[in-house]
Amino acid sequence: MITFENLEVRYQAAPSPALRGLTLSLERGIVGLLGPNGAGKSTLLKALLGLLKPSGGSGTVLGVALGAPEAAKLRGRIGYMPEYDALIEDTSAYEQVAFWGELSGLAPEAARDRAHEVLYFVGLDESRYRAVSGYSTGMRQRVKLAQALVHSPELIFLDEPTNGLDPDGRRRMLDLVLRVHAELGTGVILASHLLADVERVADQLVILDQGEIKAAGSMAGLRRALARRVELRFLDPLDAAQEPALTELGTVLEARNGLYDLELLEADPSAAFRWAQAHGATLIQVTPRHDRLDEVLLRALHPALPPASPLSQNPAKPDSEPSNSSDGNGH
Amino acid sequence: MPIYAPTLPPAPDLSQGHPPALVLLRFDLARLWRQKIGRFFGFVFTAILLVQTGWIYAKFLMQTNQTLRPLEEYSKGLFAQGADFQASLLNPTMYLLWFLVALVGGGLVARDSLYRVRPLMYAHPVAPKDYLLAKLGFASALPFTILLPFALLPWALSLALAGVHGPVWVTAPLRLLPAMAISSMLMGSLAVGASSLASTPRAGIGWVLGLVLGAGTLTSMLHGLTGLRLFDGLNPVMLAEAWPQLLVGVQHPLVAWGPALLGTAFHIGLWTFVASRRTRPSEAVI
Repeated sequence: MITFENLEVRYQAAPSPALRGLTLSLERGIVGLLGPNGAGKSTLLKALLGLLKPSGGSGTVLGVALGAPEAAKLRGRIGYMPEYDALIEDTSAYEQVAFWGELSGLAPEAARDRAHEVLYFVGLDESRYRAVSGYSTGMRQRVKLAQALVHSPELIFLDEPTNGLDPDGRRRMLDLVLRVHAELGTGVILASHLLADVERVADQLVILDQGEIKAAGSMAGLRRALARRVELRFLDPLDAAQEPALTELGTVLEARNGLYDLELLEADPSAAFRWAQAHGATLIQVTPRHDRLDEVLLRALHPALPPASPLSQNPAKPDSEPSNSSDGNGH
Repeated sequence: MPIYAPTLPPAPDLSQGHPPALVLLRFDLARLWRQKIGRFFGFVFTAILLVQTGWIYAKFLMQTNQTLRPLEEYSKGLFAQGADFQASLLNPTMYLLWFLVALVGGGLVARDSLYRVRPLMYAHPVAPKDYLLAKLGFASALPFTILLPFALLPWALSLALAGVHGPVWVTAPLRLLPAMAISSMLMGSLAVGASSLASTPRAGIGWVLGLVLGAGTLTSMLHGLTGLRLFDGLNPVMLAEAWPQLLVGVQHPLVAWGPALLGTAFHIGLWTFVASRRTRPSEAVI
């Protein structure tokens, strides 16, 4: 779906590149693009849309090279939902969506028909003739999603689609994102700074910070890695002979007062009991740590912290584990 | 609670659409229609048109009716005759047109900047030149369309009443239509350029009026100070007024052919350049 190698994007007046040395390969699916504000997510989307010419490296989107003359036509195959409002306040949702459909290449009548269908799909059929200036935040977000879907793109870029939404609105928006991929087969790139949103819908994850890829991989791989995370509680602190032997079980991430955070070699917690029996230790509790995806993000963004998961150094593949690049460029 | 559709049907063919510039132009036209600013201007332009057609009829009567002949002699001293009269078919509307162009054109680009829809347009298969073409086309087509009946209706009436010997030359449209096109392009490019400098439609109106009136004042001052008529060639109001006169063969009192050509090319070039710079995709902040 998307590949790029050593991609660099530089704004004219900026002293340093906004994106540097990005190397990645993304398969069709829902890709979560995660990173703090200013990480380069929107710049990456702009570059992928062909609005910014790469200053270095190369890449393809849906088989079309970045910066190629066909990039304008490529945009007809891509839908884009911007982070900010981008709504024409004095017009109705129906008029706007039909207008964006026409701009994407639909004939006027087909665009009008399609506007009805897509507004129904996002749940706005009742209010589609009202001026968008009177819409709630959730409705405005859905109009933006509708305009991105009106021409049935092969790929859509969603930039912070849950911005400003209440929990129920967020859930509904993310359900729509899942439906877009599941029912329409559309590839989705979801840029967000909210981990929970990405975790809920994405099957691939890219973590960006300061214009560099800090980690990338499949969510399945990440979850498998997290499935090996356990917290072991022993009755007594391990002695000098037992503690080093814990490496037979996996990587010790943290040790404190008889509590050990471990990354097991296999996703089999019973191995911990076998190890305890073999080494004469009394293991009283094994707690799975599946809920620590936020740690992956934190550690990707702040490498100074002790490693939380064995992030490999490969670009994202559907079943690969997330990769963490020590030099920040995916190598 | 919203009701969601079971699913979305497959997309229709994407190759049947109109060119992006035309889509943008039609959307601006629909916006203008909704603004309903045509009531006042429509009334005034219709009134001027009625007076002009009435005057054509009166001239015809004076030419053909022996009793009214003395009136024709008298009117010759009061009103424009010959080539001057041909040019005067357009000129009364020019000043009003500047205000209309400012009101409509001032918001053309500025409204897109305010609602931040231009980046989203560029995220579609729309090139910056399509956008610029649509805006310039719309801002220029508007005054041209309004001027069209002022050139054609008196001509058609004159032709219908008196054939080739009527008060309006048979060849008048051949001279007036190019003049209208040049003046309209001048108005359109200035409006779009000024609008691209503004961040709200109201500010856009201010920019257009400020540039038109400011340039007029500045050039008049320079003319007054230096005594050089050349500077009047940079006055957009004067230029728009001069083209119908120059093309029907009347010497404009202030703007000659050379300064008119240079001044018009300068304004159209400058404001198109400004608009193209201000609407580049790199200006589009996503």
